[in-house]
Amino acid sequence: MDKSPTQADWRRWLEDHAPKFLLFARQKARSEADAQDLIQEAVVEAWQRQGDGQPPPLALVFATIHRRAIDLARSEDRRVGRELAVVEPPAESWFDTTVEDRELRQLIQDAMNRLPDMYREVITLKVWGGLTFAEIADALGIPANTAASRYRYGLAELRKLTKEVLA
Amino acid sequence: MNDREHELFEAELRRLKPAEPPEEFMARLAAAQPMPRMQPGVRSWPVRQPNFWRVLLRWLAPAMAGAAMVAALLVWQMHQPEGRSPSQTVIASAKPALKADNVEIDRQLVAAFDTVARMPGGEPVRFRCREWMDNVVLRDSAQGVEVEQRTPRLEVVPVGFETY
Repeated sequence: MDKSPTQADWRRWLEDHAPKFLLFARQKARSEADAQDLIQEAVVEAWQRQGDGQPPPLALVFATIHRRAIDLARSEDRRVGRELAVVEPPAESWFDTTVEDRELRQLIQDAMNRLPDMYREVITLKVWGGLTFAEIADALGIPANTAASRYRYGLAELRKLTKEVLA
Repeated sequence: MNDREHELFEAELRRLKPAEPPEEFMARLAAAQPMPRMQPGVRSWPVRQPNFWRVLLRWLAPAMAGAAMVAALLVWQMHQPEGRSPSQTVIASAKPALKADNVEIDRQLVAAFDTVARMPGGEPVRFRCREWMDNVVLRDSAQGVEVEQRTPRLEVVPVGFETY
């Protein structure tokens, strides 16, 4: 039978990692509610898959969010196709609003929003998720070399976009 | 972008921290603490300990059924009409093989005649024909068995004509 984490372990683990999960999920989901649902389902699934009462690897949680987001997007596409509904992108701030340089925060968020998804997800997992390229590869189901090259190209593209905004 | 620029920009990005999730969401997550999940194939109910009578019945029942079948077969055989049983037939056919200690091979000339035929080119060919009867006799003195076989055989020998 699986072990489950103690309430204290669970809360501590959530406080440490929920912000980065939410950042990643907000980029994947079409609404804040969807992003929160994705995280809740993914963390519970990852803990249960781990099965030994120990916290799951972050790469596993990100991989689960990624997979569930794809599933959700597919089902949303079908629903939107039926209902002809328009989904507004989430307006929540991705980064900590207590940061002194609020302009930089908004600038980066805007630039990240314009970045192709394949670059944005790798940058997010590397810079704010704290994953290695090998872990990013596991989480996204791509080769580690691809993750590394996407990161490099993505950073260059992101910098170019921020410069355009500043100019 | 060179490596230096790359590192500086990366450091700038790292200054940003992901936004803290809303409190109500964190409360919801905290309440969603994973519960133990059943592994496939694992049962939660206690396994019953095997007791003596259960084990005895498990092994005794098939053994009793087998013994009953054997007894029924024996009773059925005892009530069958007497006669040559299949096992006796097997024994009879299992006699030792014939061992011939006296063999006679003989042949008798039954008929002899000549005949003439022509080849496709027109030349004549004479054939001398003899009809034999081969006779083979095998005897097994130990068992007192005698086997005789007679086989007819035609012998044809071409004889050429010499023409001048």
